[in-house]
Amino acid sequence: MECVEGNPAVKRFLWRFAGAMSGYVACLCVAIVAFVHYRPVGVLAYALAVLPALPIVGLLAVFGFYLAEEKDEFQRSLFVQSMLWSTGATLAATTVWGFLENFVHVPHLQLIWIFPLYCIFWGIATPLVKLRYR
Amino acid sequence: MFCSMKNPVQRRYVIRCWIGALLVVLLTLVAALSFRVAHLRGPLMYPMATLPALPIIWVLIETGRYLAEEKDEFQRNVLVQCLLGGIGGTLALTTVWGNLEHFAQVPHLDLILIYAIFWFFAALTYPVVYRRYR
Repeated sequence: MECVEGNPAVKRFLWRFAGAMSGYVACLCVAIVAFVHYRPVGVLAYALAVLPALPIVGLLAVFGFYLAEEKDEFQRSLFVQSMLWSTGATLAATTVWGFLENFVHVPHLQLIWIFPLYCIFWGIATPLVKLRYR
Repeated sequence: MFCSMKNPVQRRYVIRCWIGALLVVLLTLVAALSFRVAHLRGPLMYPMATLPALPIIWVLIETGRYLAEEKDEFQRNVLVQCLLGGIGGTLALTTVWGNLEHFAQVPHLDLILIYAIFWFFAALTYPVVYRRYR
């Protein structure tokens, strides 16, 4: 994704990414303020709790749109390979930690950290995948 | 079941997945017995708790190996799209559930279920991907 200027798919991806992240920050602030100050209950509590997750789900759709719109097959292949490596690493890490939680009672890993964990692995995988093609 | 598969790479992969699944059950029993019956303590607890995760990691590696060895580009492409659908669904679900856990105190989702959830979403993606190529 280096040639941002010449690639309209990357440009769109970055704009959508920025939009989804801004939406996430805004929704998270709304949810925190609502829960701290108004203590909602019932359906409203569930709706407000889900609110910050919606931009993240949108972000996942942004990844899908990028894959569908990217014309450069090599860039798409790099993107997919990085995603697959980070998928494997995330599943391995959560499974290992899950068994440790069950048997050794290590501290509980909150589910909201799984997406950031995936992004960290993706950040590690991307340069390594690129390195293979140098 | 395995004999009906003409593709040797596919057959090898499916057999290894079944062996992996059997090993997970077996090693989970070994770990559970060593903790519940033998009351395992000390530094040996950690490797023993991690033991059932090893076949799962092995199956993940085998999935990567299958993707590398599969000659049929169509089959490889279908699997890649299913895996991407699987991780997309998993990340969406864990993010929504994580927010519900965090804000609305819904019951905790065990981390060891994430691997199963991933394959569930990957399987759900399969007919959708297949229909696109008809």
